[in-house]
Amino acid sequence: MTTVSADTGAAQQSTDDRAVITLRGVEKYFPIKEGALQRVVGHVRAVDGVSFEVRPGETLGLVGESGCGKTTLGRCISGLATPTGGEIYFRLSDSDAALLDEIDSIPESELTAEQRKEAARIDRHHGIHQLSGRAWRTYRRNCQVVFQDSFSSLNPRQLVKDIVGRPLRVYKESSGQDLTEKVVSLLESVGLGRQHLYRYPHQFSGGQRQRISIARALALDPEFIVLDEPTSALDVSVQAQILNLLHDLQKERGLTYLFISHDLGVVRLMSDRIAVMYLGKIAEHGTSNELFEDTRHPYTDALLAANPDISAEKSEMRGLHGTVPDPANPPEGCRFHTRCPVATPACGWEVDDAVAWLQTNETLLAGLTDVERRSNFDATLVFGDAATAGAVGDAMRNGDMPAPMKAALDDVSTDETKVHIRFSPVEPVELEDIGGGHLTACVLYTSRGTG
Amino acid sequence: MTVRADTSRELATRPLVASVRDLRVHFEAKAGRVHAVDGVSFEIRDGETLGLVGETGCGKSVTARSFIRLVPTPPGIYAGGEIDFWSTVARRTGVGPIDLLEIPHKEMLAIRGDRIAMIFQDPGKALNPALSIRSQMAEVFYQHRSEEILMSLGPDVPWIIRRAARQQSNSFESILLKMPPWRAKAAGLRKKVDELVAHALTETQIANPRKIMDSYPHELSGGMKQRVLIAQALACHPDLLIADEPTTALDVTIQARILELIAELQERLETSVLYISHDLSLVKEICDRVAVMYAGRIVETGTTEEIFSNPAHPYTRGLMAAVPSATHQRGKLAAIDGTVPELVDPPPSCRFNGRCPYAVDICRTVDPSDIDLGGGHEVACFIYETSLDSSVRPTRERRTS
Repeated sequence: MTTVSADTGAAQQSTDDRAVITLRGVEKYFPIKEGALQRVVGHVRAVDGVSFEVRPGETLGLVGESGCGKTTLGRCISGLATPTGGEIYFRLSDSDAALLDEIDSIPESELTAEQRKEAARIDRHHGIHQLSGRAWRTYRRNCQVVFQDSFSSLNPRQLVKDIVGRPLRVYKESSGQDLTEKVVSLLESVGLGRQHLYRYPHQFSGGQRQRISIARALALDPEFIVLDEPTSALDVSVQAQILNLLHDLQKERGLTYLFISHDLGVVRLMSDRIAVMYLGKIAEHGTSNELFEDTRHPYTDALLAANPDISAEKSEMRGLHGTVPDPANPPEGCRFHTRCPVATPACGWEVDDAVAWLQTNETLLAGLTDVERRSNFDATLVFGDAATAGAVGDAMRNGDMPAPMKAALDDVSTDETKVHIRFSPVEPVELEDIGGGHLTACVLYTSRGTG
Repeated sequence: MTVRADTSRELATRPLVASVRDLRVHFEAKAGRVHAVDGVSFEIRDGETLGLVGETGCGKSVTARSFIRLVPTPPGIYAGGEIDFWSTVARRTGVGPIDLLEIPHKEMLAIRGDRIAMIFQDPGKALNPALSIRSQMAEVFYQHRSEEILMSLGPDVPWIIRRAARQQSNSFESILLKMPPWRAKAAGLRKKVDELVAHALTETQIANPRKIMDSYPHELSGGMKQRVLIAQALACHPDLLIADEPTTALDVTIQARILELIAELQERLETSVLYISHDLSLVKEICDRVAVMYAGRIVETGTTEEIFSNPAHPYTRGLMAAVPSATHQRGKLAAIDGTVPELVDPPPSCRFNGRCPYAVDICRTVDPSDIDLGGGHEVACFIYETSLDSSVRPTRERRTS
């Protein structure tokens, strides 16, 4: 235990000028394999360039719908998955972060030897996937996870004493009677007691099992805990107990949380700052109050509008059209434009959107035989007969195609059974600071939309 | 949602669709008899949405399933009570209600999916992965609309097609298509069913229903699958729709769309809805009346406005305080301490006594009865039992540990 306190003590000295976790352009692509040779035919971009930092003692909330990559990101941070791009830094000081910013802004070939050396030093000391064995152990013990499903995250064949005592054993913190006493004090800190030591997980209710998970996460006195939907499997009354417990523990022990959830109410209650994720990217990032009172992204707006709220006087829940696009082939420009109620022509309309629009019209779609793509913005639609092609061309020029999509169309020309369409190419929309650390990736609010 | 505007008085004068009286459903377990539903009574009136709220294991799903007798027996036992049901026809002709727990199995089959339909929680599990959407939807029509389908084929329908239609067999229908003498008629049958299916799917705002019909469940998203299930449930325009947490497995943005759809269809088809949920904030949005369940009993019933503006039962109050809302600032919630009690052979008592901050001796020894607070607001709590002497009655002011 002495080593731990010395360790955290050293850390505490410089907590003000460093972040606990810093993400810089983190990417996690999963390969899609096909055929007998398992050839890689594409990638599912689960996390696609995410950057943020978590400061000591704060809670960062990560919200998003299922499949947006929030859990994958949590796994990357906790070291359970290795990012395919970017890096996650542990205890990166502000001066080092500024240095990395500077290095990143210079093209690779123009870096001086000194700068390269500096970058390598930072990576070696702070980049969690390049840490040496010893530093890696320090990181692992300081970054713990509480998983969503307490059924599958607790070994059904182990006693509570073994489950909670396991990290202490692995890190050779204690053994024998001392271990038992430590486990008891951990259990007491999460509202359980000595009587629960020699029981199996199945003898507990869902809320109690989640308490055991939390006790296990606390065993090594970590600095940072990733909470991956810790209460989504629980009833409201139990959820409130667990949230209060997490709140108290954070105050007592000065913990830093990454709180992953799909429930806006829970996230608001728990977080100082919130990042909203959509399809592998951060859509909006700001303090809780900013995000809820002064929303600057239509996706956050949509989430808020769809969230039933018990304290609201009378609200009409509004949903979103369509479904989340395929992360293996994410939309161009702003990823949300396919479902956005306030989309503009500058949001990244592309060939896929035109095809998706055709799908809403049975007769027009039936005639479509082939799509010859030159790029995502430029393609030829081939139809079975000239009449349908003509009808599609007309519909695109002056029919019921959504106005922003129509405005983004540079060129439509009909040639017998073929319709050539070309959209104006658009760069991906990146997060941009719109003042006071409030970031958004929406062209309506950033310089690109106004400029 | 439009029905919400009606006053409670207007709701109370509407004809009854279903009336549950003292329903008891028990389960035989090793440890004893589990009283999963223990004396539940409520009414559903024409065109209203009744929300049944409660936490996991409070018996809300078992109550719902009892309506169409889907509780497996054994281990389940319908230990008492009755569920009276008035179909539209019964109401028009003035015939009395039928007791859903007493009618023979064959009659139950005719009611399930036709007069009373159910939407289940997990759309992924409720659809058969091996059958196309078309054949799963067609089943409903073969089951309940075979006469109508036969009529549309004209007078000279061969007996074998009649049999096919009555036997509700999909495979038989496809074999028929291959038999030359009846091919034309069978094709007509198929076309008619396709039409019915496509129409039912269109009602749930599915774009391109013909394409969806030929797909299999795994090809559809969760929201789409739930739409198919809703189409299936509402295909025969039931008098009562039971929705058992239909949106729990869906994302919030999809959930809002599905709820909009249910509300819109309910209004158009004049269906009554029993909406089961654990989510108070959701129930507040969509229901006309709410019944709060705890440990196999209903602790409080009333109109949505009444329940949410003036909750009476300590459990309802605790539950509402425990729901985090998007307007909450960072901080702590008021949680209910303790856990749900075991329901194995429970003694007579208020089931909430172990977690109730106001509990006194009487709460631990006597079953509370429903007390009318006026305006259809009923609560089962001794705090409101004015006939009791004040020394034995719990009060909200006095906290006892």
